[in-house]
Parts: sequence; structure tokens; C-alpha cells
Amino acid sequence: MKYESQRVAKPYFIAALALFAGQIVFGLIAGFQYLDGTFLFPEIPFDVAHMSHTNLLIVWLLMAFMGAAYYIVPEEAQTELYSPKLALITFWVFLGAAVLTLFGYLFVPYSQLAAMTGDKLLPTMGRGYLEQPLPVKIGIVLVALSLLFNITMTLLKGRKTSLNLILIGALWGLALLFLPAFYFPIDTVKASYSWWWIVHGWVEGDWELILGALLGFILIKMTGVDREIVEKWLYVIIAMTLVTGIIGIGHHYYFIGAPRYWIWLGSIFSALEPIPFILLIAFAFKMLLRRRREHPNKAAMLWAMGTPIVAFLGAGLWGFMITLAPVQNYVHGTNLTAAHGHLAFFGAYAMVSLAIISYAMPLLRGREANSAAAQRWEMSGFWIMVISMIGITLALTGAGIVTAFLQRMGAHPLGFMQVQSKERVFFWLREFCGLCFFGGLVVYLRSFFMSGEYEYSDEAIRALAS
Amino acid sequence: MENISDPPHALPGDFAIWVFIFAELTVFGVLFSAFAFARAAHVDLFNQSQLALNRGLGAANTLVLVTSSYFVARATRAIKDGRGLLCGHWLTGALGLGVVFLALKLFEFHQDYAHGITLSTNLFDMFYLSLTFFHFMHVLMGMAILAVVAYKAYAGRYGVEDHAGVETGGSYWHMVDLVWIILFALVYVIR
Amino acid sequence: MKLTSIRPLPCTSTWTLLLVLTLASLRLGASGSGPALVMAVLALTLIKGQLIADYFMGLRRVRSLWRTAMFAYLVVVGGLIATAYLIA
Repeated sequence: MKYESQRVAKPYFIAALALFAGQIVFGLIAGFQYLDGTFLFPEIPFDVAHMSHTNLLIVWLLMAFMGAAYYIVPEEAQTELYSPKLALITFWVFLGAAVLTLFGYLFVPYSQLAAMTGDKLLPTMGRGYLEQPLPVKIGIVLVALSLLFNITMTLLKGRKTSLNLILIGALWGLALLFLPAFYFPIDTVKASYSWWWIVHGWVEGDWELILGALLGFILIKMTGVDREIVEKWLYVIIAMTLVTGIIGIGHHYYFIGAPRYWIWLGSIFSALEPIPFILLIAFAFKMLLRRRREHPNKAAMLWAMGTPIVAFLGAGLWGFMITLAPVQNYVHGTNLTAAHGHLAFFGAYAMVSLAIISYAMPLLRGREANSAAAQRWEMSGFWIMVISMIGITLALTGAGIVTAFLQRMGAHPLGFMQVQSKERVFFWLREFCGLCFFGGLVVYLRSFFMSGEYEYSDEAIRALAS
Repeated sequence: MENISDPPHALPGDFAIWVFIFAELTVFGVLFSAFAFARAAHVDLFNQSQLALNRGLGAANTLVLVTSSYFVARATRAIKDGRGLLCGHWLTGALGLGVVFLALKLFEFHQDYAHGITLSTNLFDMFYLSLTFFHFMHVLMGMAILAVVAYKAYAGRYGVEDHAGVETGGSYWHMVDLVWIILFALVYVIR
Repeated sequence: MKLTSIRPLPCTSTWTLLLVLTLASLRLGASGSGPALVMAVLALTLIKGQLIADYFMGLRRVRSLWRTAMFAYLVVVGGLIATAYLIA
């Protein structure tokens, strides 16, 4: 850690992990409610568990991205953060708003929450992932503006690297792409368009740039490879993301009342969206092979290498499976989508967030890497979580395929609930894997509470002994 | 362009741009294939709608783009001799031809719109407009790259030993030309 | 200056050839329709593409991998298009 002001990243990272844990708890509740619909009813009905799960995901990822920005931007710009104080105030505002929102979901009936918070003035509530009350949405914009102001001012007074430009540019994009959240027209086609500008624009566009920048930073620091090489790869990856992803938004436009040409344009361009993920794998492994040093933080390296692979599987492979219009006609909105969503979000965004935390946290705590024991726990957590998530994905894939065949095809399709009851085995499997995932998370979190740093001497002794 | 007796050397320009070039070629390749196979299911429609295209304008644009690529090749040759100013001039010429391409294409789009050709008219028109618009965007991007390279050439930032930027930018422009060659033959000509 | 040294640059010759081939493709295309003409024009297109790759991009003087890759691209895309036209 080179600049004192990078410390502000720490609370962001800690909050991110805490909210991540919260996210999984609600996920387990919602998952169990597939099997027993009365579980925790009426205290935490399914819709509340679901939106708590998804909103916590988004907030913890945003916390991680912000922390990453506060850590990376000063180091790249080679100057202290413009205002660490502002960053800390913003942190508490964001965390406070998040907790307040969660309490709102849990303790206030949603329609009442809407009435209390001025939804009548400007309706913004009620859409998936955008359930937040209007004041909270405004708060999110203000938090984002605060971040952007801070890191942009830092950039302006320091060295302007390609990586910083990409990261900060992407964060500006993130903020701008959130603005359609305030546009909720009665026309359902237009409402769908605007929703997807945020959701697709974020996760299949803007956030991929953030993913690239974070991964690029970690690889520069940990492998010692020439910055120029990393940055060139990033430009190619980003270009392919935008070339495929911008028109690729059409794969959400097939069946919402949009013009027919989207069937073609969406299918063709979204079919190519896996390309940047393939490039990310090639990039990460090429940098690994070209490395000039053996960084002691093996856990962070594992996260960094695992991220593009799982991201490709979830976003690229599973995404491809459901993207072509003729196929999507049968699988739209089934658990195949949920399978893709879980593996993609985890691989692309959760894992890269955990990677940057894995790299930066030891440094923020005053050491280059954690002790070998702590790293072993962390890496075990990695494996348990990755394998569990793959299990969840496979379980949901099974359920989705059953739905497609029994509910969407054939001469006598069955009803939704009837089909759901036939899929119970998959939902049990999913819940079991979810519990394993939670176990992996606990193992992972434990590694943070193990003291001691990496002992080079131990490694030398081991090397000499073998 | 160098002499045939010159020794073989490294890939012209950055390795990264070649990854990008092949990735872009892949995207266009998929689009071209989609067009061709869509046509297989709607032969009469495609043959009929193709007649409404302005083949003359398409051909003119082909000649314009090929010539601009030639200019870029001359620019590369100039900088290999260390002649930055001459390199800049050739690139300016290429950019000028790029402007001509854009103008002709915009005029063609205007004509199409006047004849009621839109993305929603029929499948052929959808492909024709999408393909040429997508290519149009790449011409714009190519021109932006060439403009930066030209500026640096004029500013004396390239030399005999160090001119990878010219080759990098030039390679991208040649790709844009290559794509149009295929596009023109596929969309405007063969039936 | 010897007469033998006044010869066009490779890129100039390439440019001239490209113009000629373009006009030839146009002529062929205008002369009618049908699989033979389609194949002829596609073949000309492949040649033009390879010319650009070899002489404008300069791949002729580079490790054959790249030249082969470009040629493979032209063959694959051309082949797919040809197939689609033949099965139509």
C-alpha cells in the first residue's frame, strides 16, 4: 500500500463481505421457500426474501467496486486520494441507506413503503433489482457522484494511466446507466427497454470494463508483467465487450413488443458476447505464464485465475445456451436463466471482487500476504464456494430443462405449479449446494481472522527440505 | 510497401490490434454467414429487394475505400523511409477518401429512407441496413485512429525505427477495407 | 536512372489489380445470376481479400501463421456463403 488514503478502501471491503454474508442468508431462505412455501411466512414472505437477496448482491458488489476504486485510483495516479474524508462519509451514508432499505423491505409492507417514500411523486418502485424507495435511489446517485468526484479529482492531479482511465470511465458509465431507474413509464415496452438499459448495460457492458480493469490491476501488481502489455489486452477485451454487448442488448428485446429485427440483431450479436470472456481467460493465463515473480499471495492469484474461467462458464457458456431467439422462445424466464444468472454474477463480479479484496486486504493490514495457514483457509473457501456454485447452477439447469419440456413444449403443456412440483429434487439439490456455499463462505471469512503474515523463510525451508 | 528483397520481419503493428482485427473479422464473418443463410430461406425476397440497391454507389464506395487503403500503404512506406511529413500527407489523403465514403454512404441511406427502406421493411432490408451501418461505424472508428496517427506523423513522433503506430492504425484500416470488399460482393452483387 | 528501375511499387500494382478485379466482379454480377457466377465473384473476392492481406497489410513478409489465418478466414467465410447460396 503506497498511499495513506488508500486505507479508506478497508471499510468498503469489510461492509462488502458482511453484506455478502447477508445476501447468502436471504438466498438460503428464498431457496428453502421453493420447497416449503410457508417457511417464515408471513414474517419474511418470498418476495421480501428475494429482493433482499438481490439488492444485497448489488449493494455488496458496488461496495467492493468502490473500495477497489479508492484503492486502485490513488496508486495508479501516484497521488493521494483527493478527499479521504469524503470517501468515509460517503461510506457511512451508503451503508446506512442500504441497511435502512433492508429494514424497510423486512418490516414495512411494500405498498406502504412506497406510499411513505413519495413513490406517488415519481414512481420508480416495483421493478426487479430496482425495488428501492425513491429517496434511496437518489441517495445512490449522490453516493456515486461523490465517488466519481473524488476519483476524478484524484486522476486529474496525478498520472493518467490507461487502467485508471478505463476504471474511472467505467464507473462514470455505471452511474449514468443507473439513471433510467427514474424512468418508469406506463408503456410496458418502454419500461422494459429502460430496465434493460440498466441491467444489461451494467452486467453485460459497463461492469465488464470494471472486471477487466480490476483483473488487469491485480495482474500488473502480482505478476510484474509490463503494464503496457496488460493495458493493450484490456483495450481489445473492452472493445469486444462493447462491439458485442451494445447491440447484444437485443437478446432481451425478443418477446417484449419490440420490432422484429431485434430477433436477428439480438441473436447474432449476443451469440458473440462470449468472445470477451474467452479473451479474458487467454489474457489472465498469458500474464501468469509471463510472470516475472512469485507473489506470496497465492490466494489472490487463485481468485484472479479462477475469475475469468467461472465468468466464462456462467456468462459465456450458460449465457450462450439461452441467448438465441429460437431457443429463448422455450426457455425464457425458466430456471435456466436463474442458473446462468447465478454462475455469471458469481464468476464475473463476485469473484473479481473477492480477488481484489484478497490482494488488497493484507496490504491494508500491513503485510504483503497472509500467512500460509490463512491462505489455505482462504483457498479452501474458494474451492468450496466455486464447486457449490457450479452445483447450484447444474441443479437450476436441470429444473429449467424440465420446465422447457413440460411447460413450454408439447401438445399438452402442464401448468406452472404442477411443473414446479415435479422439480423438487432439483430445488433440494440447489438448497443443499447453497448450504455448502454458505459453509465455503464461512471458511473463507475465517481466513480474515487468522493472524500472521506470509513467512518467506518457511517457504525457503520447505523448498530446501524437498 | 517494401521491396520484395527486404528481410522478413515482425507482425506489422501491435500484436493486440491483430487480436482485435481477427475478433472483428469474426463478428463480420458471422453477420455475413447469417445473411447468406437467411437468404437461403427467402431467395426470391432477397433477389427482389437487392434490385432496389444502388449498385453504382456501392461500387464507387468500393473504389474509394480501396484507394484509401492504397494511400495508407503508401503512408506506411513513407514512414519506413523516415519521412513523417509525407506519411502524414498520404494519411490525410486516406482520411479525405474516408470522408467521401461516409458522404456517399449517407446519401445512399437518405435515398433508401426516401424509398421506404427501413429495418422493418423486410429481412433483406434489415440485413442490408444493419450490415452497412455496422460497417459505417467501423469506418468512423478507423478514421479516428488514422487521424491520431496522422497527427503524430506530422508532429514527428514516428521514425525509421519506431513507427509501429502507423502499421497498427493502418492494419485496422485495411481490415475495414477488406470487410467492405466482402460486404459489397455479398450484399450488392451476387444473386 | 536505368529504365529497369522505373517499375511500380508493389502496393501500386496491387491497387491497380484490385480496381480491375472490382470492375470484373461488377461486370460478372451484372451479367446475370446463378451458382456459377456466384462462385466466380466469390473467388474474385477471395483473391482481392488475400491481396489486401498480403500487400496492403504486409502479411506477405511475416511469419506464415498470420497469412494462413487470414487465408483461412477468407476460405471459411467464402465457403459458408457459397454453401448458403448453393443450398438456396
